[in-house]
Amino acid sequence: MSILEVKNLKKVYTTRFEGNTVQALSNVSFSIEKGEYVAIMGESGSGKTTLLNIIAALDKPTSGDVLLNDKSIISIKEKDISAFRRDNLGFVFQDFNLLDTFSVQDNIFLPLVLAGKTYDEMDERLKVIAKKLGISDILIKYPYEISGGQKQRTAIARALITKPQLILADEPTGALDSRSSEGLLKLFEEINNEGQTILMVTHSIKAASKAKRVMFIKDGEIFHQIYKASMTDEKMYQKISDTLTMIVTGGERNE
Amino acid sequence: MSNFFYPKIAVNNIQKNNKTYIPYILACICTIIMFYNMSFLSAAKNIGNLSDSRSLRQILIFGEGVVGIFSIIFLFYNNRFLIKRRKKEFGLFNILGMEKKHIARVMFFEMTIIMIISIIAGILAGILLSKLMILILFKIITFKVVFGFEIPIKSVIHTAILFSGIFIVNLIYNIFQVHLSNPIELLKETNAGEREPKTKWIIAAIGAVCLAAGYYISLTTKYPLAAVGGFFTAVILVIIGTYCIFISGSIVVLKMLRKNKKYYYKLNHFVSISSMLHRMKQHAAGLSNICILSTMVIVMLSTTISMYAGIEDVLRNRYPRNISVYVSKVSESQIKKINNAIEKQTSILNAAPKNIINYHYIYFITIQKGERFTIKEIDNYFPPDAAELVLVTIDDYNRIANESESLSKGEVLLYSLNGNIEGDVINISGLKLNIKRRLSSLYKEGRLTSIMANSYFLVADMDTIKEVQNLLNSGRNNVEHFSYYYGFDVNAKRDIQIKLTNALKNDLTKINPKVNVEGAEREREGFYVLFGGLFFLGIFLGLLFIMAVVLAMYYNQILEGYDDKERYNIMKKIGMSCEKIRQIIKNQVLTVFFLPLVIAVIHLMFAFNILTKFLAMLNFTNVNLFIICTIITICVFSVIYTIVYALTAKTYYQIVRE
Ligand SMILES: Nc1ncnc2c1ncn2[C@@H]1O[C@H](COP(=O)(O)OP(=O)(O)O)[C@@H](O)[C@H]1O
Ligand SMILES: [Mg+2]
Repeated sequence: MSILEVKNLKKVYTTRFEGNTVQALSNVSFSIEKGEYVAIMGESGSGKTTLLNIIAALDKPTSGDVLLNDKSIISIKEKDISAFRRDNLGFVFQDFNLLDTFSVQDNIFLPLVLAGKTYDEMDERLKVIAKKLGISDILIKYPYEISGGQKQRTAIARALITKPQLILADEPTGALDSRSSEGLLKLFEEINNEGQTILMVTHSIKAASKAKRVMFIKDGEIFHQIYKASMTDEKMYQKISDTLTMIVTGGERNE
Repeated sequence: MSNFFYPKIAVNNIQKNNKTYIPYILACICTIIMFYNMSFLSAAKNIGNLSDSRSLRQILIFGEGVVGIFSIIFLFYNNRFLIKRRKKEFGLFNILGMEKKHIARVMFFEMTIIMIISIIAGILAGILLSKLMILILFKIITFKVVFGFEIPIKSVIHTAILFSGIFIVNLIYNIFQVHLSNPIELLKETNAGEREPKTKWIIAAIGAVCLAAGYYISLTTKYPLAAVGGFFTAVILVIIGTYCIFISGSIVVLKMLRKNKKYYYKLNHFVSISSMLHRMKQHAAGLSNICILSTMVIVMLSTTISMYAGIEDVLRNRYPRNISVYVSKVSESQIKKINNAIEKQTSILNAAPKNIINYHYIYFITIQKGERFTIKEIDNYFPPDAAELVLVTIDDYNRIANESESLSKGEVLLYSLNGNIEGDVINISGLKLNIKRRLSSLYKEGRLTSIMANSYFLVADMDTIKEVQNLLNSGRNNVEHFSYYYGFDVNAKRDIQIKLTNALKNDLTKINPKVNVEGAEREREGFYVLFGGLFFLGIFLGLLFIMAVVLAMYYNQILEGYDDKERYNIMKKIGMSCEKIRQIIKNQVLTVFFLPLVIAVIHLMFAFNILTKFLAMLNFTNVNLFIICTIITICVFSVIYTIVYALTAKTYYQIVRE
């Protein structure tokens, strides 16, 4: 059963000056099954963030549709969008987007408080997640007191705590050193193994090689995709890097 | 590089920062207008040079001083706010290769532009408004309106010098600030202060103690005389207390609220408490300023308005009859002559006396401790526990009150004008007197001196009075004469009354040189000038302070706006609807901005007692009128405050939504 279906998405930005238009997405279609771990790769400016924002209902497409569990999110009314986002989607951003005025614990609680959950319920959920992510010791600290890796774990905990249908991650390793990146990717694998669907945008080959499927986006279109199946990480890495070389040198699409 | 390079950048910078600089320039202009007008009034020839005018001029010169000092603090404070916000920009200039001396040059041109605009516009507008000001002032103090237009050069020069000085000092401060810091710090400056503040128990405790002490002084001030010193001590304590409470008390409270999980993890509380906790450090000073200024505005307006509104009461208090004659050390034969002389003068001027009250009395000053009174010679200085005692004969009392009370030796009837004696016995330097009855009123409703100390009237028989007289003469048995009071109202025009007062003074002095004739009409003008002058000053300073409150609120909103912008973006991404965000913002901003007003009103409630005592010293005793004026002032001020809040909140929303 596909959890997410993206159909013929097109996004044209009109810049404010001189009426210039930028086509960020020209025609993007794909679908994601429940329990999948998908990475989207592409160069900077290829439209990855735009795509993610549309899936997250943070932005409207020029045309096309996005179905989450067969329900079109484009047609959700403005006033229901926030609740929809909070109940169904979890976000992990490159720059963490933690609030400096909240402790780690309160940052993780934020979406649940938004949903009006009681403290006891929140606390129960937090204990489980914090243990899994190894952040139990830093719960009372503030974002400016912890490392980048810890910040990203906090952000993941915040995304997971609402038990979302889909986790959307925009360059989650972008601001991390290699060791923290490693840890984070391992974490993604783990939560995916527990059944969590993940859609990750990245331009790191290493990050993408952990995903079960990698899609390549170029000039606003899905250009190519690779399934990992039973490949090892190393094999996958090699294949991705070959594909990227091919994209850059302008080779023909295969398959 | 063209000569216009720096001026151009300067103009550009001011335009770019128009959200903060336009209000600042407007505030500068308003302050200059206010100062010029005060300076103008205190120098205006039209006010004249009579004795009443001199006391008015004194008030106005005082006002000029207050406005001047206020301008210095106010403009310096706001300049600091502006420069703090712009440090990042200067840091960027610095990194982009602009040397500090070039930045200083840009700052110089900026300040020069602001200075020239403000001073020229301020003085011109001030001159235009000055005619209106003097008309209003004259209307209030019931002076005759004079025609013509006056521009005292002295005031123009004073204003120009004072404000150029302020601007130059500010410029030097700004250049120093940029000079002292390195670019990286400059870039970071605006983000400083994000850390959660520590709970400063000591400051919170100091604040609580200062507030409690200030309130205690206010609540326990019993004597009008103690009000002066007590008032200023209390004001200083409360100001210190307010700062400490905002800086630290707020954090203690917020942390306590945060500990209460059920309360804290509700969406509204969750977001507001956490952000207020982090913000208090930067905002505490601004909020305390708003609170203190608001309190001052309300105190000044309510007291001066009620005094002015109650001017007739005050006159009647101070001068219980239209014309009052006091003679000390008087003999019975002189009293007869005095009565005759008054009858004669009133019939000459065709001003028939009515409501006549005349009686003998003995007046002396004591130090009161509960029911114990110690006789004391007092020249100038009235200690706070001084009490006036007035002995009145039972014969006079029965005659005037139309009663037939009889008293035996050692018995008195007591009427307390101000102050309280518990128990049934009073002790005057060892002489014990039994209080037979307490009177709820006495024919003498006025005061012998202005009502500064507690006053007790004792009705007694001659034997008792003689004993007190002996005490007064330290047992030398040289029985002192009574004093004599003769007061009456007349049905006559103002000028006749004044004529009568002067004629009586002339006639009676010939009979007894120690005579004092007071005519309410003769003094009325002086009262209008004094109270009207204070009223005018109150309104004037009230407006000035309101302007300061407005600007402080506006800047606070801007500060909040930039701080909150990023946070609300994040919350939006995590799934908070714009509607919810707006609601939370509203809640938070409401709390932050109405807190100072609420605390100001609390201060006022505690200050009420000492203020009534303070007013009593100026012969104003109509507490009800004061209550009404205070309530009206608070209401009007709250409305203004709310309007200003609504307007400034708009800017906040604009910034957050950008
Ligand atoms: N708000 C916007 N207005 C105009 N153009 C935009 C906007 N956001 C993105 N773009 C343009 O759309 C293209 C895709 O951007 P983006 O989705 O951010 O790429 P990526 O995340 O892959 O780096 C870029 O050319 C970018 O300049
Ligand atoms: Mg991107």
